[in-house]
Amino acid sequence: MDRQSQTTSLQRLQNVEKKIVRVLELAGSVMDEMANPSGPRKDLVNSHCTEFMQLVKDTQMTLRGEIKSACDYRPFEKCDYVPRITNEISCKKLEHVIAQLDEMKQTIEGYGDAA
Amino acid sequence: MDGDLEISLDKLPIKRLEALEENGLERFPADLGYDEKRVNLIRRIDFAWAVEREDPSKKQKSEGASAKEGTATSQQQWPWQSLVENLQLAHQELSVIIDLINTVEANDAVTVAGMTRPKQLPNEHLSDLAVSTATKLQCFRNLGKYFKQSAKSLEEQIAREARFYGALIRLQQNWKIKRHRLVAAASGNEGFYIDLFDNSLYDSAAIFRPSSLSTIPIEHDTAGMLAVNLPRKSCHSLQFEVLGLRSASNLGKAGETKTPVGVNDSSKEPGKEHASNDERVREIHLTLREVHRAIHDEQVFDLVNREACNPSIGVNLAGIKENYLRLSIGQGASVSISLVPSSQDDETYGASHRITTETSCVPSESVDGVKLGGVDKPKKLGIPSPLGFEIYLRQVFHEHVFVKAKNKAMSSSRSQISSQPPKDNSNILGHFCMSLAHRIFSNKVLSVLENLVYRTPNVHLVSHPTWHSRTSSWTLSVKIPQSILHAGSQIPMSTAGAVKNIRSPFWTRVVVIDDSIRVEGEGSPNVVGLFRGRPDSVSSINGYDCDLVDLPIILLQQVASQIIQWLHEEALTVGIKANRDFLSLAFELDQGEIVRLVAHVDPEDTQGCISWWLTVDDGVVEEHKLHPDMSDVESESRKFLGYLSLDVLYSTLLDFLNLCSC
Repeated sequence: MDRQSQTTSLQRLQNVEKKIVRVLELAGSVMDEMANPSGPRKDLVNSHCTEFMQLVKDTQMTLRGEIKSACDYRPFEKCDYVPRITNEISCKKLEHVIAQLDEMKQTIEGYGDAA
Repeated sequence: MDGDLEISLDKLPIKRLEALEENGLERFPADLGYDEKRVNLIRRIDFAWAVEREDPSKKQKSEGASAKEGTATSQQQWPWQSLVENLQLAHQELSVIIDLINTVEANDAVTVAGMTRPKQLPNEHLSDLAVSTATKLQCFRNLGKYFKQSAKSLEEQIAREARFYGALIRLQQNWKIKRHRLVAAASGNEGFYIDLFDNSLYDSAAIFRPSSLSTIPIEHDTAGMLAVNLPRKSCHSLQFEVLGLRSASNLGKAGETKTPVGVNDSSKEPGKEHASNDERVREIHLTLREVHRAIHDEQVFDLVNREACNPSIGVNLAGIKENYLRLSIGQGASVSISLVPSSQDDETYGASHRITTETSCVPSESVDGVKLGGVDKPKKLGIPSPLGFEIYLRQVFHEHVFVKAKNKAMSSSRSQISSQPPKDNSNILGHFCMSLAHRIFSNKVLSVLENLVYRTPNVHLVSHPTWHSRTSSWTLSVKIPQSILHAGSQIPMSTAGAVKNIRSPFWTRVVVIDDSIRVEGEGSPNVVGLFRGRPDSVSSINGYDCDLVDLPIILLQQVASQIIQWLHEEALTVGIKANRDFLSLAFELDQGEIVRLVAHVDPEDTQGCISWWLTVDDGVVEEHKLHPDMSDVESESRKFLGYLSLDVLYSTLLDFLNLCSC
């Protein structure tokens, strides 16, 4: 997956999970409504059921889209470990140079004080 | 009557006598009814054994009851009483028989064929319906509770896993994350691990085994979030020490690593989850970088070992131990490369380590640098910083092994290696050692140059970057002060090219390659031209090799001759007739006297390297004219002028203008 859409597709999948949780909650409340001793309230049950179906449909579409857009699994083709080490070495070089520059600066200040 | 007696027996049931009383009355039993007679007959069957088995108590009771009844009725004298008794007895007998028949049927395992239920009454029907409805409602309620509970637990699990997988995805952007399916099935873990081994490089030349550090398991910590645990002191790092020379640089001894901040900080509040998740991921990144670097160090050490054991140019193996290698390079120094456990959060280790490095350097007597008596103003450069060379070692191996392998593996044609290839393609360690030797030598050269330049006025030293680790180059240039330039020169100063033309003859270049010095300079007189008496043809570039001992005097002679050259040119521009010799300038005075301005070079002189003398001769050839630097004594004919700067020389020259006739 390319990096730009990685966070958003992750968010989409997380939303799918939240929808599933919501679906379960709806099922629970419908059951509770049916267990109502004075009989279920039709409008409530209807609204819950429509929401349920809508969420399931959304989930299905999102998952379908995600599965289609997942790229082929070519494992670790662009492994960057070697340039990573190059960077680490460069970092060390920079630190070394900075330390030397600091030393030079101290020397200059020392001369400045002496003068 | 006849005399025969006939007796006839009655076939009818004979009443049997029940009892005969004393008075002759016959008592006959009462007449039984027809049923009674039958019953009596049946009664005669002995059901005692079965009946006793079935209803022993009933029989006892009934017997008891009948006995009682019997005693009771005998007193009643009711004529139907016996009938009633008999009927009761019969009833009892029949019930016994029915029970017996039932038992017999039961023993035959005969089931009841059917039972007809009576039709339900409406209220029964309704109550059944109510019960079933109530149970259904109860089921619904249970189902509802079950759904809600699973929704809650699913939500918690999602939240937990979201943190875990969020961290995992962030790690995956930088590191290779793999999964053991079997481990996942076996343990409770998901079986993820981080693979730090780059196996895209090594297909055929599989010289590198993955080290034990290459796979790092990903675990859950106590809060369920992602955690990576490493055993302590499992990472090693390269340590590089140069022994035998005093180290002037105190820039970070080898082996100091930046401690990753708060790896074990578990005091974070669980409230700031988002922030601590970021920090956690950052810590893990640091840890992984550390491990990756340690793996590379191990590989570099491995390569160094391998190359050290092969005899090759520039590599002299002096000692070998486990995780320790000692090489001797030139210039009286030796290098030790070792693999030590890197101190992650152990400050005291770093401190004690520093001490050992210094003690190994202190008892070094063989300082091969040029001892320039007592001058301590310019810094004595010992060896260059070990840290620099440690980095260079890593880089050199990395470039020529890994980057090359990678580029070969990728088979792309755009492989550009930024630094230079070593002279021998496979002798990386030799190149490295020679670089180190060169650096030590060039530091010595540099100190010589600095000493010279410090004591010589108007001479500047410039270092040139050569971008090659075994070449160094400097330029000494004589800079003519601005005052003289403006005053004396008739050539316009505006063009930089013209300025350059004036100044360019005064450079001397010193180039050091490995440990050979080459000096090039303009303005030194052509010896052949001198002999031919045409000292004008002097502006050619001469170059020659020398060694460190002769370097000062050669440079000083070069510089002095450049100054003389300049003075000569200035004299000619001003209008003085002057002749130049190797290190002297001769002016002819009115009286035929020849006054010489002579330069005397002495690298050991503490006050100045180039001193000037004035000699006057009366036309008599003197021996020491050809050896102007031999005599130190002032006499009438030679006067010591001192360590003059260029302005003073120039003004001296101008003084001659008055003296000279032309």
